Amino acid sequence: MDIENPVTSAAPGAGQAEAKLGLWAAITKGLDVIGFSPIGMLFLIIIGILPLVPPFNQEHMVRWMVTGALLAAQAVAFDFTAGYINVVNFGFAAFVGLGAYTSAILSSTLPFLLIHPGWPTWITIPLGALVAGIVGVALGVLTLRLRGIFAAVMAWFVGIALMGLATNLTSLTRGSLGFAPQALLASTSNVPYFYIVFAMLIVTYIVLRMVTKSRLGLAFRAIGQNVDAARASGINPTYYRIVNFTLSCVFAGLLGGFYAHYIGSMTPKTIMHTSKTVEVLAMAYIGGRGTLWGGAAVAFPFIFFIEYLRSNFSQLPGLHLVIYGVLMILVMIFYPGGFAALYATAKAWVTTFIKR
Amino acid sequence: METTKGKPAFFEAVVRSFKARPAAWVVILVTIAFAALIWTQGASQLVNTVVTGGMWALMSVGLALVFGVMNIPHFAHGESFMVGAYVAYFVFTPISAYLQDHPNAFLTAIAPFAGMIVATLAGAVLGAILEKLVFYPLRKRTKQGWIMNAFLLTVGISFVLSNGTLLTLGANFRGVPAYWEVPPINIAGVQLAVDRVVAFAVAVVAIVIFWVFLQRTRTGRAIRAVSQDETGAEMVGINLNGMYTLTFSLATALAALSGATLLFMFPAYPTVGLKPLYFAWYVVMLVGLGNVAGAILGGFMVAVLQAVTQQFVGISWEDVVPVGIMILVLLFVPSGIFGSEVKGIQEQ
Amino acid sequence: MTKLLEVEGLSAGYGFLQVLWDLSLYVEAKEFVALLGSNGAGKTTTLRSIAGYLKPKAGTIRFKGEPIVGKPAHIISRMGLSYISESLNLFTNMSVRENLLLGAYQIADKKEQLRTLHFVFELFPRLKERGGQLAGTMSGGERKMLAIARGMMSNPILLLVDEPSLGLAPQLVVNVFKALEVLRGQGVTILLVEQNVKTTLRISDRGYVLEHGRLAIEGKSAELANNEHVRIAYMGV
Repeated sequence: MDIENPVTSAAPGAGQAEAKLGLWAAITKGLDVIGFSPIGMLFLIIIGILPLVPPFNQEHMVRWMVTGALLAAQAVAFDFTAGYINVVNFGFAAFVGLGAYTSAILSSTLPFLLIHPGWPTWITIPLGALVAGIVGVALGVLTLRLRGIFAAVMAWFVGIALMGLATNLTSLTRGSLGFAPQALLASTSNVPYFYIVFAMLIVTYIVLRMVTKSRLGLAFRAIGQNVDAARASGINPTYYRIVNFTLSCVFAGLLGGFYAHYIGSMTPKTIMHTSKTVEVLAMAYIGGRGTLWGGAAVAFPFIFFIEYLRSNFSQLPGLHLVIYGVLMILVMIFYPGGFAALYATAKAWVTTFIKR
Repeated sequence: METTKGKPAFFEAVVRSFKARPAAWVVILVTIAFAALIWTQGASQLVNTVVTGGMWALMSVGLALVFGVMNIPHFAHGESFMVGAYVAYFVFTPISAYLQDHPNAFLTAIAPFAGMIVATLAGAVLGAILEKLVFYPLRKRTKQGWIMNAFLLTVGISFVLSNGTLLTLGANFRGVPAYWEVPPINIAGVQLAVDRVVAFAVAVVAIVIFWVFLQRTRTGRAIRAVSQDETGAEMVGINLNGMYTLTFSLATALAALSGATLLFMFPAYPTVGLKPLYFAWYVVMLVGLGNVAGAILGGFMVAVLQAVTQQFVGISWEDVVPVGIMILVLLFVPSGIFGSEVKGIQEQ
Repeated sequence: MTKLLEVEGLSAGYGFLQVLWDLSLYVEAKEFVALLGSNGAGKTTTLRSIAGYLKPKAGTIRFKGEPIVGKPAHIISRMGLSYISESLNLFTNMSVRENLLLGAYQIADKKEQLRTLHFVFELFPRLKERGGQLAGTMSGGERKMLAIARGMMSNPILLLVDEPSLGLAPQLVVNVFKALEVLRGQGVTILLVEQNVKTTLRISDRGYVLEHGRLAIEGKSAELANNEHVRIAYMGV
């Protein structure tokens, strides 16, 4: 049965209903190609509209949305590595910082810096991503043939080294004194910034999702599940690990570049510190590792919850982080599938309920 | 073996010999570096390096033990150090304040030890609680992907502990200028601060006791057995869960002791454990995961490395050189300089 | 008299693979019982289930009259059941002496430990010679001897031995069986899993033959040795 040939049915509306069903199937299929379920797309649209809708259109709330989208995109990039090839990039924040500082320095015109070419941000941000990718490849080549825990710890070490470098090369980065990169846009409102980072989130997700659906993605999963079996099937694990890791780092750098020109002021410690990696990691795991969308989905409510805590319980510093950590521990022990698993269970329950 | 050129053959031989006996080479190199350091910097550098070495050794031994016995890459080990520092502070400071008004030579002499002892006990208790609360449930639920899961769990624990401390005790530094307010003692013409001498001595004593425990006692032997073959251990009647709790408790206690002895050097604050954590990991990766003996020696070696880097390399690259060395080591000797002793870990 | 070991209706397997189907057997005190069968018949699975390393899907196991299914392996070991696995599970980075001392982990009395050690060294003089050698560096035969010796260090009531003669040179096989006979003479009850049917039936009292996870034949060893099927299938007659 297809849309062209109406079914020989008595009811006149039947053909229309089936045509609608066919259209719906086509939409769902199209969405699936880019990695969205209908509900996921709905969620995305809601997020996209939110900054225009009161009470969410207040500037401080839009700022939360920006932070949320940034965290969501990072979680996606992080999960791409941790969830698919089973490598925890424990220096992830350093790659974000690489992108941030590269873009900040290259777009800077401050005379007392060592280099300050003053290039426009739409060039420097991709350059930041490129630099992060290059360092990612280098680190990958050196460490990804080792067992998972070694690779994770090496990434951690390198991250610390990069943060240390950034702190110490003050003539380049101003170190702990702080760097004030150019603003990305002339606007003082958070709203346009949101839509830029929102677009970045969508692009990051779609690109990485499509990669996971490709042959590359198949190889990733094979390696993540059983390295020896993968190798026996002719897949070179190290090569694919490097490809995956580099891609993840490129996106990390890209997001870092955006962050630099949004935040207006940064130090190595505020961007590249291990605790920043842990925040992204916690998000990815609580959301559901290996799903790509899990971390992104929980990022928004999470940021709102945390910012709410921060503004209403400011006398309790670090409370939100404690909650983060406890939740992550609980999820990892008792509910390893994370939010994505919860969603799947709920969906199955609802579907069986409807079918009755 | 014929070679046409002399130089490449020599280089080949060096690399091969390094691969065959990396331990010997490294010890030689480190001794040379140490000598160079003393030559240029003098005996005070010796004291500093040796005290730092003791600290890293205490930290690394616990880390190696937890890795070797329980297969857990322990990321919250720095928090054990932090807890030790805080406990020592909260035990020592009131005593010290009391002694201001009621001077007592004897009590003044032993007060710091009270802090150290309580800190060690606190560490032991904390370790036991953490193990029972976090790792025991994990063991019951999933054996798959244990190493990474356990690692991430310790990341979570670290996060909770350091931020929990921030929440409850605040970010301010809680330190003491000195444990014993006495002039430095003079040994062979060198001025040595008493606090540092004691810190080093305590570290050495603790390591020796620990080593003897591990090698000569029934329980120590049982712990080593668990690290080598768990089924075999069960076969001879060893309670695995009990050993795990004991091991984790021991490791935490040693780290807490380290934090307590060095309170005069590292005041207690929520993230004070980061540096010890980093260095303990560095040592353990360098010498081979799970290698307890190697960790002891490695602690001192890394202290020398640190001092050498600070002295001879520019400050900008201070963080990069150790990482570079680590990468080189892992490239040539992936199982660590002294050999790794971990069940179930292989490179790929 | 309660049987020392009673297994009833044991069904066990690994995940979706079921290996044992409704197996029942028993061992009386001081008996020497053989568990025979070809590769994959389920002999190791049986021992592992009894010793507590594998949770059965069904069935009861009683040791000294007490039900032991679900008890942790180390508790079962402490009850006096010593399991010597096929893979030996030696502490490869420890010396022979340390392995043996660990075998006596449950024995509190130092004197008793030394006595047993002495006994074990008499039985296996080779081990005494190599007291300080690392277990991992010894030959296959020596490692087997060490495994048996270690299993004896706890003065067990019941010894479960899994294919001790596998891969051994004939002279060493003789040593191993001799050692088992000595033990039996000391009053230790033995359940021996073996593929070497001829020798095993000669020294054991009774035997069970497993085929594809089920009990095929049982009876006194002398009768089994004359059994047509056993002779053709397992003794190459």
